[in-house]
Amino acid sequence: MLALVLACALATAVLRDVLGSIIAFAAYSLGVSIIWVFLRAPDVGLTEAAVGAGVTTVLFLLTITKTVRPAGEKILEPIDWTGVVVSVLLVGVLVSTLGALPAVGSAETPVATSEVTDYYLDNAYEETEVKNAVTAVLASYRGFDTLGEAVVVFAAGIGLLVVLQKEEFA
Amino acid sequence: MIDLVAARVHYLVTFLLLGIGTYMMIGNRNLVKKVIGMNVFQTGIFLFFISAAYIEGAGSPVLSSPGPYVSPLPHVLILTAIVVGVSLTAVALGLVVRIYDEYGTLETDVLREVRADE
Repeated sequence: MLALVLACALATAVLRDVLGSIIAFAAYSLGVSIIWVFLRAPDVGLTEAAVGAGVTTVLFLLTITKTVRPAGEKILEPIDWTGVVVSVLLVGVLVSTLGALPAVGSAETPVATSEVTDYYLDNAYEETEVKNAVTAVLASYRGFDTLGEAVVVFAAGIGLLVVLQKEEFA
Repeated sequence: MIDLVAARVHYLVTFLLLGIGTYMMIGNRNLVKKVIGMNVFQTGIFLFFISAAYIEGAGSPVLSSPGPYVSPLPHVLILTAIVVGVSLTAVALGLVVRIYDEYGTLETDVLREVRADE
C-alpha cells in the first residue's frame, strides 16, 4: 500500500498532462485513506476519502476547466535539476534522523505513553458520554480548535469570493 | 540496519513524500501542479502524525470496543489539518484562476516574460 502511494505520488510529479496528474493525485489520496484505516484511524480515513480524494479533486478539475491543459506530445515533464537537488538534500537530512525516531507500532513511543493520551482514553466517556474518543476530543476537549477550523473555512470562502470578484455564490 | 529501516518504513515514506512535494513545488512550471505538490507535502506530514499514534495490536479509539487503543489526539489534529488544507487549496486555486484570467497562462516562465513585457 505504501509502495502504491509512493508510485502515485511520483506519477503525479512527472506527468506532463495536468489532467493525468490530477487523476494520479486522486488515486494517491484514496491509497492514503486506506493506509489510515490500516493504522487504526478510521475517522481520518473517512475524511481523507471524502475531502482529499473527493472535494480536492473536484476543485482541481473545476480549475482546469476554467483554465488550460498544456498541449504537447510528450507524456513526461522535463526534469528540473534544481528541484531534484533541493529535494534530495531535504530527504537526505530527514533520513539521517530516521534512527532517532521510535519504531512505528511500539507501545513505548512518547505519543502512546503521554499523560494526555491516557487522560483522554480514561475519562472521555465519563465526561462527554461520547463513545468515539476522536469525536469527544474534537468536539469537546478541543472544541475551540474546531471553532478556529470553522473560521478558517469561512475565511477561505470569503477569500475565494474576493479573488474571483463575485458578489454571491453561483 | 535493515531491521531499523523496516520498523520505521512509514517514516521513510513520509520523508520521500516530503521530497516529492518539494520537487513539485520547485520543479514543475505549471501553477496547478505546484498546488498539487503542496497537497502531497501536506499528506506526508499527516502520515508522520498518524504513524506516530499507531500501536501494534491496539484498536481504533472507539471506547465501546475492548482496549488497548491508539492515541486519539494526533487523529484529531490531522482531521483539523485536512479541512484547513482543503481551504488553502481552494484559495490557491482561486488565485490560479485569476492569474489565468489576467495573463492567459499558467506556466511560470511564460508568466515572467509577460510581466517583463508590461
